[in-house]
Amino acid sequence: MNPQDSSDFNRRDFLKGTSLATLMAAMGGVPLRAEDAKPAADAPKKASSPPVNCAVIGCGLRGREILNTLAVMPNAPVVAVCDHYAPFLNRAKTAAPKAEGYGDYKKLLANQAVQAVLIATPTHQHREITEAALQAGKHVYLEAPLAHSLDDARAIARAAQAALKSNFQAGLQMRSDPQRHFLLQFIRSGAAGKAVSARAQWHKKESWRRAAPSPEREQELNWRLSSATSNGLIAEVGLHQLDVLGWFLKARPVAVTGFGGVLHWSDGRDVPDTIQAVFEFPGGTLLSYDATLANSFDADYEMIYGTDSAVMIRANKAWMFKEVDSPLLGWEVYARKDEFYKETGIALVANATKIVAQGDKPVEDAPYANTSLSYALEAFISNTYVVLSGVEDFVASFNPNDTAALKEYLAGLAKSKLPAAGWPEGYEATVIAIKANEAILKKQRITFEKEWFQV
Amino acid sequence: MKLKTFSVPVVALLLAGSLTAQTMTRYEAQPGSKMKIEGTSTVHDWTVESGIIGGSVEVDAAFPAEPDAKAAPGKVNVRVQTALPVRSLKSGTKAMDDVMHEAMKMTAHPKIEYRLTEMTLKEPASGPVLNFETKGELTLAGATNTISMPVTVDRSEKGKLKFRGTTSVKMTSFGIKPPAPSLGLGLIRTGDDVKLTFEWKTALPAKTL
Repeated sequence: MNPQDSSDFNRRDFLKGTSLATLMAAMGGVPLRAEDAKPAADAPKKASSPPVNCAVIGCGLRGREILNTLAVMPNAPVVAVCDHYAPFLNRAKTAAPKAEGYGDYKKLLANQAVQAVLIATPTHQHREITEAALQAGKHVYLEAPLAHSLDDARAIARAAQAALKSNFQAGLQMRSDPQRHFLLQFIRSGAAGKAVSARAQWHKKESWRRAAPSPEREQELNWRLSSATSNGLIAEVGLHQLDVLGWFLKARPVAVTGFGGVLHWSDGRDVPDTIQAVFEFPGGTLLSYDATLANSFDADYEMIYGTDSAVMIRANKAWMFKEVDSPLLGWEVYARKDEFYKETGIALVANATKIVAQGDKPVEDAPYANTSLSYALEAFISNTYVVLSGVEDFVASFNPNDTAALKEYLAGLAKSKLPAAGWPEGYEATVIAIKANEAILKKQRITFEKEWFQV
Repeated sequence: MKLKTFSVPVVALLLAGSLTAQTMTRYEAQPGSKMKIEGTSTVHDWTVESGIIGGSVEVDAAFPAEPDAKAAPGKVNVRVQTALPVRSLKSGTKAMDDVMHEAMKMTAHPKIEYRLTEMTLKEPASGPVLNFETKGELTLAGATNTISMPVTVDRSEKGKLKFRGTTSVKMTSFGIKPPAPSLGLGLIRTGDDVKLTFEWKTALPAKTL
């Protein structure tokens, strides 16, 4: 196919198609997809920016997920890994064979070859490591929630704000996900009408308890199950979903009421295995959240209910469910449709829009097939390079001690960065989750106070 | 004998005088400078910008750097050496930055450099802004061309010189093929002519002020 004829592709494909299936598909409405504007197939996949030497601190499940994601990126060599628990460190070294192993993160931070650190330790250990990493001049990707307590979260946000020469990214990976950015525009444009309520859930049947060879290690490994170290489901899981919904609604909740308890996994834990929370937004919009470790029905998704349609988001897919009296948007006539019991979901395919087909942005072979973590890490590496090259260029040309001018120069580079959560988003999401957990444990309504959000 | 005794201090004076004339005052590049490259394409005009123009300018004592200094038209003794990192040129979209940086052969030639070879004051120095005609060597993507352009020097702030200028160059004269990115399916082609506009702030080093 001649790529220049791309606009003609569907029609020609249809004319060439001889099978009944093609005919049926064409008559039923052709989904608008990114394939319409595929770039030349022989175009090599290039790194989006020059390499940045990475180190991962905390090599449990999440840390190894990060390692595996970095491993397939062309510009994120992992030069060091750290975990004080030897078996985890060994597994990390298998995932990153060229990396130097450290039992002590301070020694890792002293390694000058390390430019960026990705911190995936238990939440309550974030503060000390993050502060030290920023102090050592490293760029930091910190898993969300930022911290276990408000004080720690604020200290981290302050350190990130003060570290002018470091790129800090909070692990709110959805903020880098192109599917979410597409939906953000769709929802903010008012295409679903006025949002009156929202809902999200996360259902899984699993204990969260993990086995370990010794009682000490068992306790350490299961930090999520103790309220002394964990804010439970709302913080460790819900925070990501709540952040996306608040972002879409362009609002911060004014109050939260919560409930929860240990209803199934009565193994001595004091962190609820089943929770519900209702968030009140300005103007009265309600967001209800429920999560459980005792039932897996319908897994996890987020919903926004608008006066014209409801939008359902499941991982990298989304659908719109229209009201009968809603205005015709046009494109939905041709869009793919999926049946959900008695409802018809119109697929919200990000690349179906004209903007992408015109080549304003690179078109993926399989749109948004990557995990949101991989988009977040791609943004982290790319943005880190923007900051570090910006600092290098500035220092090489001007007075390096002119911090005000450097700050202004770096701020001017913001447009060259890929979308990602910074410390303000990370801090706000963490505050909301911490307070929501407080409401859940106390079975109370808590009004969010302005000063909690001030860094 | 008389002549000889008289001539020693005169020679010394002359020497001292010429030494002073040869002593150059150095102004260093300051943040807040701006380089803008504007071009065209088959779909829309484009602009890339950088806030980094490094380097320095050296002027001799005769140069009317002071806000109220006088000078007659003619050649001035000025040395200018500047450099701009190609990667600091930004368009506002990453995809376009990549296309531009590749076209400018950034990996092999990470800097754009300019060296002034001739600078002539066009009219008697008066007022805060002086008008010059300049010649210099511009090195871009590894190719060097001599370019001429009018340059103004704003001397209104004491201890600071602000240079402004605009010139047009052809990408092909620097061996750059006007990009037609594969992203645009070959339909987007950039024009050969680009306009360079700069505002370069320099100042005496802090300690000499």
